[in-house]
Amino acid sequence: MGKPAQRIPAARRISSFFMILVFVMLILSVAAMYQVIEAYRSAETLDFTNIVLSLSAIAISVYMLLQLRAKPLKLGFEMQEVSTAIECQKCDYENTREFKRGDFIFKRVEQCPKCDEDTIISSIYRKPEEKEKKKEKPRF
Amino acid sequence: MHNPIATAVQVLATLGMFGQEDSLGWIFQLIWILVFVAFMFYGQRIQITIMLKEIEGSLHKLRLMRNRGRGIAIANIKELGKPNEDPTNRVDRFLEHVDIGPVSLDPVGIIQRLEHIIDVRDIRFKDEVRTMAPEADETQMINLTNVLEAAMALNQIYKIIRHFYLQGKKTLSIYIVMQLQMIMPLVMKQTLALANALRAFTLGHPIGDGVGALVAAKLMHGSEKREIAKDIIVSDVTVEGRKAYVLKAKGPGGNLGKPGEAIKQILEENEGKISMAILIDAQQKLEGENPGDVSEGIGVAIGGPGVEKYKVEEIATKYKVPLNAVLIKEDIGDAISTMRKEIIDGAEIAVERIKQLIREKTKEGDTVIIAGIGNTMGIGQ
Repeated sequence: MGKPAQRIPAARRISSFFMILVFVMLILSVAAMYQVIEAYRSAETLDFTNIVLSLSAIAISVYMLLQLRAKPLKLGFEMQEVSTAIECQKCDYENTREFKRGDFIFKRVEQCPKCDEDTIISSIYRKPEEKEKKKEKPRF
Repeated sequence: MHNPIATAVQVLATLGMFGQEDSLGWIFQLIWILVFVAFMFYGQRIQITIMLKEIEGSLHKLRLMRNRGRGIAIANIKELGKPNEDPTNRVDRFLEHVDIGPVSLDPVGIIQRLEHIIDVRDIRFKDEVRTMAPEADETQMINLTNVLEAAMALNQIYKIIRHFYLQGKKTLSIYIVMQLQMIMPLVMKQTLALANALRAFTLGHPIGDGVGALVAAKLMHGSEKREIAKDIIVSDVTVEGRKAYVLKAKGPGGNLGKPGEAIKQILEENEGKISMAILIDAQQKLEGENPGDVSEGIGVAIGGPGVEKYKVEEIATKYKVPLNAVLIKEDIGDAISTMRKEIIDGAEIAVERIKQLIREKTKEGDTVIIAGIGNTMGIGQ
């Protein structure tokens, strides 16, 4: 079953008006920078205000463009890493493997490689994502 | 041909109104005044437009989630149920299902009436799923019901948000739009949790809400079991030298059962001679608390619409049985998504707490009830 949800989710919807706006801003800021350079060539004076303004505008528009091509939308259907812990009830044998469909806690599974007794699934759990871990460390 | 603006500026300059250098300053001043006036008259309209754009983004995401949820439900039914005909139409009909609650104008007997409606809903859902997925076994059928319920919740959330969004857009009422914008982060959090739940339900993973059932399963594992109430199994075990009736919903399918009914039956079978009842359930943690932490309290730890809680309160009051609660903390998102390692560890701690409670509050030879509450998906016994 998992296959349909593993596909990359539909792309983020980006307003074409916003895209045009960012591109226009980038072109204008590059043009302003070009003018500053031309002015320096002809008059040999540097207009620092213009340099700062046009560089900031270039930086902002490049940042915005990078943001627009950010990761695809996360919808929450993504496959998580789920582990199945197996243990023998007689000896100390323990093993962890990837979850398989049909697994459930206390299900009798394969034989113990140490004592040939049936092993059981002792737990099934997911590993929290790094982002989740970071979120859960409050300062207070 | 002369540029008219340049000519006008030159004329004004010769008249001494302002010099060539000041013209740019005047233009900027004029722009500022225009912007100020525009904000004065259209400020709220601009604010509404920005807020609507923000809501629109979330609504787009909700629509994608709704569609994906529906798609997963259909694919799952086709895979497990092997139906003879395409289940798409039936699923679409199911997603539009509506529950009508009992009338509260006359509250007498409302619990019984509510229970009846819940029972009818349960039977109806199972019948629908059986028709849609004839080849699915009992566990798969219960899990498919859970999948469809999650898809239904995603559909309803999307439609409600869309309703208020369109209403706000039509009326341009800042009060509607602002309220919607303020609750959107919480709505998105819950919807994301539902999407995670849907994924867990399709694969039959144990979910966070089932931690109470997991604790009970740990205590009853390996002993004789019998079904005492609808989808509830009970086992007589010895815990710390006391006789304990340990009960949970029948797994590994996603059952909740009727724990209230089961506790009532045990108390009546024993004519009220029960020293203590301990109910174990998941508790919604507060921000800043750690998932898997265990807390204790008194009262009936059963969530949901309140029917089962009422039954336990009523019968425990009749026989004066002390009610204790052992709670495992978790986030709302964790409650309906695949169980986390911290919650599994919390279940171990809860078992020890139960034993400690029994040792401290009862004498050897006494009888106690231990009820693990919650959805038992992916948890056997």
